[in-house]
Amino acid sequence: MRLLLVEDEKKVSSNVARGLSAERFAVDVAADGQSGLDLATTYHYDLVILDLMLPKLDGSEVLRRIRSQNAHVPVLILTARDAVADKVGNFEAGADDYLTKPFAFAELLVRVNALLRRGPVSRSSVVRVGDLELDRLSQQVKRSGKRIDLTSKEYSLLEYLASNAGRVLSRTMIVEHVWDQSFNGVTNIVDVYVRHLRVKVDDPFEHKLIRTVRGVGYTVTQDTYS
Amino acid sequence: MNIRSLRFRMTAWYAGLLVGALLLFGVSVYVGLERYLNLTLQGMLASECRGIGTELLSQLPGKNADWLATEINEAYAPEVNSRFIRVSRDGAGVIYLSGAPKDGGFDARQIPFPPPRGDKKEGSRQIRLASGQELLVDTMTFTTPDRSHFVVESGMPYQQIQVVLHGLLLTLALYTPFIVLLAVGGGYWLMRRSLEPVDEITERAEGITSTNLSERLPVIRTGDELERLSAALNRMIARLEDSFQHINRFSADASHELRTPLTILQLELEGIVHNHSLSELLEEQIGSALEETERMSRIVESLLTISRLDAGETKLDKLPLDLGALVTSTTGEMSILAREKSLALRTCAEDEIWVAGDRTCLQQVIVNLIHNAIKYTPDGGTVDVRVRGDVGKAILEVVDNGEGIPTLAISHVFDRFYRVDKARSRASGGAGLGLSIVKSICAAHGAEVHVSSQEGRGSCFRVELPMVAASEKREPTTVLRKVSF
Repeated sequence: MRLLLVEDEKKVSSNVARGLSAERFAVDVAADGQSGLDLATTYHYDLVILDLMLPKLDGSEVLRRIRSQNAHVPVLILTARDAVADKVGNFEAGADDYLTKPFAFAELLVRVNALLRRGPVSRSSVVRVGDLELDRLSQQVKRSGKRIDLTSKEYSLLEYLASNAGRVLSRTMIVEHVWDQSFNGVTNIVDVYVRHLRVKVDDPFEHKLIRTVRGVGYTVTQDTYS
Repeated sequence: MNIRSLRFRMTAWYAGLLVGALLLFGVSVYVGLERYLNLTLQGMLASECRGIGTELLSQLPGKNADWLATEINEAYAPEVNSRFIRVSRDGAGVIYLSGAPKDGGFDARQIPFPPPRGDKKEGSRQIRLASGQELLVDTMTFTTPDRSHFVVESGMPYQQIQVVLHGLLLTLALYTPFIVLLAVGGGYWLMRRSLEPVDEITERAEGITSTNLSERLPVIRTGDELERLSAALNRMIARLEDSFQHINRFSADASHELRTPLTILQLELEGIVHNHSLSELLEEQIGSALEETERMSRIVESLLTISRLDAGETKLDKLPLDLGALVTSTTGEMSILAREKSLALRTCAEDEIWVAGDRTCLQQVIVNLIHNAIKYTPDGGTVDVRVRGDVGKAILEVVDNGEGIPTLAISHVFDRFYRVDKARSRASGGAGLGLSIVKSICAAHGAEVHVSSQEGRGSCFRVELPMVAASEKREPTTVLRKVSF
């Protein structure tokens, strides 16, 4: 998979590029709008990550010109500009998703994966992490064959964590996915739910699946890493 | 009517002065006229006496009393003119007395003689008869060449003067109130007309707050003091708007500029966590640094939200929504947080309370208020969330029986970064922006937010949103959804 990252802030682009490379993506970096547009229209990319505030050529303009030549390449907008009007404008111009700064790398990764998977990949109805089994259709959860009763919020939370098994999800991502962005930052609702979930999912078992990564967020994994 | 209003006071002063001036004028005219009439009458009577004395009495030695009566009656016709004429001669008594006047005004026989004052009997005097009439009588003494003394009296009833004076009094009494009424009415109308722009300026000035500083007062193009006043006020508002924009711009720019370094900081720190196996201590330290980065991001985010809302830069998706339903569902989501503290979170929401608003923003208001109430209510307390409609207004109340807010702090709770108990709030992780966001969102929705509190007894936050008319009710159309994955 080949990705194009158009971002003028060197430290951001090098960090993102390094992270994406670690996830086995090939990443090209352009530091201004014009060179980004040149690269995007010259080579075939599976995904373009585009900052909006760019020197030489504005991100919105780059997006419009990319779309005029290639209607299919997914574009993820990376921006510090989060006004709703801008968002709507860029969606109309053909952006597939957006991410506002500051963001966690995990969040970017989840969105990149979502954009690349979208379409051809059908999601299987059963999610398995170790001995944990989630049935998306019946919303039933089993661990080692034993049924676990969860409230619908607990289920949504566990499903989100389990379907991104191995990835660390930030509280912001969890809140926005499971709840609503109104709950973001104000409340400790995620921590409370994770605690409830742990009581039901992890406490009766030797091997703990839900892990806290301090300062980053939560993850569900079967590895007992470091 | 407001009796302290400039309009009322000026009209009252004006009316008072006018009444005073008219009274003074009336009294002067009355007194002056009375004096003038009196003098004229006296002069007339004196010349009559003199006429009788010089022209008739001098011929008397050769004539008898009948001749005198005929002459006087011919010359002065006292009965017809309501006059009183009496001629007496020392030692011989009355030699002529005019008859009763035709109008029966007085009885000449009842008029007393002038008091004996030696030779000096001249001058006029006022006589009041038993019947109530008043007369002015002029007396003169004459000495004929044959050395006999005569006293000539000529009188006239006051009534004639009084008729004129009464007429004047009647005219004044009838016209003065009419003129005063007309002047007061006209004055009030004039005052109202000239002060009307002041009312308008006042009304508009009242409506200008930090959220609509772009509005201006109406400028009255009359070239007078009021135009200067409204123009001066407008320039003041413009200066205020400028400085407000500066502050807002600064907050927005500062927050915006902080985002990129925060992104870098977060990415770098996450990189360390993910790509290296760290000692427990280092993992702890970097985790802590990441937590602080996140907190900083939240503050920056909140500041930006507030600045944009206050500057009117945020485009809100104002759609009709059922506030009661939104409150019920949001409270349901938050009930777990109340249970954590063994608080009773109770909801009492009327159905079908429709307001026009941005769903995410209004939910933010509800979440922030409930979160705030939960935070400041000790374990075992209660938090009541109520929604009801009240004459065109949707009212949301979040009431707790927690620690309350000190009276001194109550006016500051919506200020940015304000915290009642600084140490405690910092420990619980708040930056003191939650209620500022509530206020900004409310202002952007034309809603009012009030707080009342009793220290130790609890607080009540009350949001009043305009309700939308029944005809505007409709289910919100699907707004932009984020891409799901």
